[in-house]
Amino acid sequence: MTVFHFLNCAVLTFGPHVVYYSATPLSEYDTIGTSVKAAVVYLGAALVKLVCLATFLKVPDANDSFDPYQELMKILIGFIDVAGLYFAMTQLTHRNISQNHKFQAVGLGWAFADSVLHRLAPLWIGARGLEFTWEYIFQGVEANANLVMTLSLAALGSLMWLRKNKPKTLIPIIYACALLLATMPSITSYLRRSLEWQTPKVVGFELFSSLIMAFISWQLFSACQRPM
Amino acid sequence: MPPSGEVLASVSSALAVLLLLLACVELGDAAAAVGVYRLIQYDLAGAPLGSRAAALNHHAAALPLPAGADLSRSALVAPLLDLPLSFLREYLAEKKHLGGLLILLPTNLGAKNGEVSSDDKGQPKSVLAELEKLLVHEEVPFPVYFAFHDDNMENLLADIRKIASSGQPASASTGGYKLIVPSAEPKKVSSPTISNIQGWLPGLKGEGDAEQLPTIAIVANYDTFGAAPALSVGSDSNGSGAVALLEISRIFSRLYSNPKTRGKFNLLFGLTSGGPYNYNGTSKWLRSFDQRVRESIDYAICLNSVGSWSSDLWMHVSKPPENPYIKQIFEDFSDVSKEMGISVGIKHKKINVSNSRVAWEHEQFSRFRVTALTLSELSTPPEFLESAGGLADTRESADVESVMKTVRLVSESLARHIYGLRGRNIDVFAEDSSLAISPHYIRSWLDLFSRTPRVAPFLQKNDPFIAALKKELSEHTADVHVQNDVLDGMFTFYDATKSTLNVYQVASVTFDLLFLLVLGSYLIVLFSFLVITTRGLDDLINIFRRPPSRKVKGA
Repeated sequence: MTVFHFLNCAVLTFGPHVVYYSATPLSEYDTIGTSVKAAVVYLGAALVKLVCLATFLKVPDANDSFDPYQELMKILIGFIDVAGLYFAMTQLTHRNISQNHKFQAVGLGWAFADSVLHRLAPLWIGARGLEFTWEYIFQGVEANANLVMTLSLAALGSLMWLRKNKPKTLIPIIYACALLLATMPSITSYLRRSLEWQTPKVVGFELFSSLIMAFISWQLFSACQRPM
Repeated sequence: MPPSGEVLASVSSALAVLLLLLACVELGDAAAAVGVYRLIQYDLAGAPLGSRAAALNHHAAALPLPAGADLSRSALVAPLLDLPLSFLREYLAEKKHLGGLLILLPTNLGAKNGEVSSDDKGQPKSVLAELEKLLVHEEVPFPVYFAFHDDNMENLLADIRKIASSGQPASASTGGYKLIVPSAEPKKVSSPTISNIQGWLPGLKGEGDAEQLPTIAIVANYDTFGAAPALSVGSDSNGSGAVALLEISRIFSRLYSNPKTRGKFNLLFGLTSGGPYNYNGTSKWLRSFDQRVRESIDYAICLNSVGSWSSDLWMHVSKPPENPYIKQIFEDFSDVSKEMGISVGIKHKKINVSNSRVAWEHEQFSRFRVTALTLSELSTPPEFLESAGGLADTRESADVESVMKTVRLVSESLARHIYGLRGRNIDVFAEDSSLAISPHYIRSWLDLFSRTPRVAPFLQKNDPFIAALKKELSEHTADVHVQNDVLDGMFTFYDATKSTLNVYQVASVTFDLLFLLVLGSYLIVLFSFLVITTRGLDDLINIFRRPPSRKVKGA
């Protein structure tokens, strides 16, 4: 029964990535290589992030309140992710795939690697236990929100770095949205730690904000697609 | 290509090892882990008694039960006062199977003089005593555990009741709580030992006094027996007697340390074990003595349950009260008791040598033809394995005042006997003298006894408590000796007296199925949505309509 629960949670956590890959044209153009490369870049970025976190941040105490300086450092370190995405999208040579598919493949690989790295081990250890908690279900929902968020960020990234002729008026909006998306992990951490939101509320917020951001990104993306 | 094949094989074996390691990660993430105490399990002359199982792994159920509930696969959680004994009797009599029983003991067991109203007073105790009697003398085929009814347990109980009130009894399909006590099969305690501790205060021999000095023995058994061995602290039975003995040895050691006040009697102090089992230890202890030593014992005073009496104490004897020795001792006691404003009654009970039941410790002395008596607050001899320090006999059931009165009675009359002060109104142990009885000493020892479960088979011979008793006795007396013997073979005890209960909140299979259903529909909707938005509705329909054609198209 508990293995059943574990499988359920695993499907909730990793299923959407698979579904996304197989449902969208990504599967038809066989972009798995790009996704794998993005995942490898993610691993590298995560390593760099770990080193930076260990170097620049002090060990948080249990009763530590929200420290603005520390959080600022965290946000800055969080931008390593953006740098990684940039690297994955512009520096790596990919097989000839369209920009459209490229950002999706990179975002998908990125989000999948993130899920595997952050959620697989707790899931394996925790969800097989006899004790029932909602924790792993929320974690799965969080993985979904993260996928949407990463895809949005990748879409904005592709607008910023790959598309040359975009409407001038939209550029500040694109940058603002990308900034917002990149600071999203810090925002949720702020909500959780400083405002002491409970997990369901935080996850709900993440889900909601990711959908909003996805919608905005989609609008921006299609606005840039239009011939000028 | 052989090389790549080898690489593949090594990688896959490494992966297998990794998976194996991961699978071995064991989980100890219970919502709550509670210390629980198992009902005693023992064999009496081969007959199995007590709880015969230790492992528990069932869903929790609580009273009141829905009609027709089948409890054979659930663990019943019941506060002591809510558990109808008739229900339990019915289960035991009809040999109905119960998954397990967790009895919640009130935390303020025997809270006396307080806000408790008079009709409540003693009620949990009497219920507990009855329950104990029932469980100890029956064969219980299911695991029975005791735990304390604290706030966490109250919450658990409330939750279980809430789930139960939704209609269905707890089972795998409704979720709820699962109670797990991981426990191996209880093992027999191999050769349970009983340790008797003795110490002497040698009297002063006159010059040329070749003969051996007469001896007065003061004896108390210190071990206990109860439904839950790990909770049987027996403050009154017989912690109080043992504490009184220690205090008497302390004040007499002061008298005997000075040659001027050393009496012409040897004093023998004996802390015996095996008391609940027909004073098995006392018998073995007496047998270990040399015949001459045994004959030198003038009389023996046994102390039993002297921790909660107010004005009446009983002197139990097995020789008729007309016997001159008994008469004399009784008069000694009555003199002192009159001065103290208490009354000492005498009860005569003949011993029946053919009957193996020994109700009082002095009867073992009588069997060796040594004059002996037992001082006790109990007016009637206790039944076998009863009044031996069960669950209800906690610190609250013994008070320092009673022990002090006993000590005063015994030591004052002893002193008059030893120093020949009979009939004279002298307070040897006056309150402000250096020989005063110390309430602090009594209280601290009573506290220690009340914290230490002392069921003899579970007290190893090198137990720190026995070492502490030995050390304390050797502070006051000489020739302290611990005699280890094996408990009568009639008894066999089983271990696993204490365990940890893990309480898990579990989801039901129904929930998991429902969750799978929701998850499946979510993924299907997501799939359809993505296909429609990125490829169009026709593609989606094509996928379902002609899978082979799509494959051809893809190829």
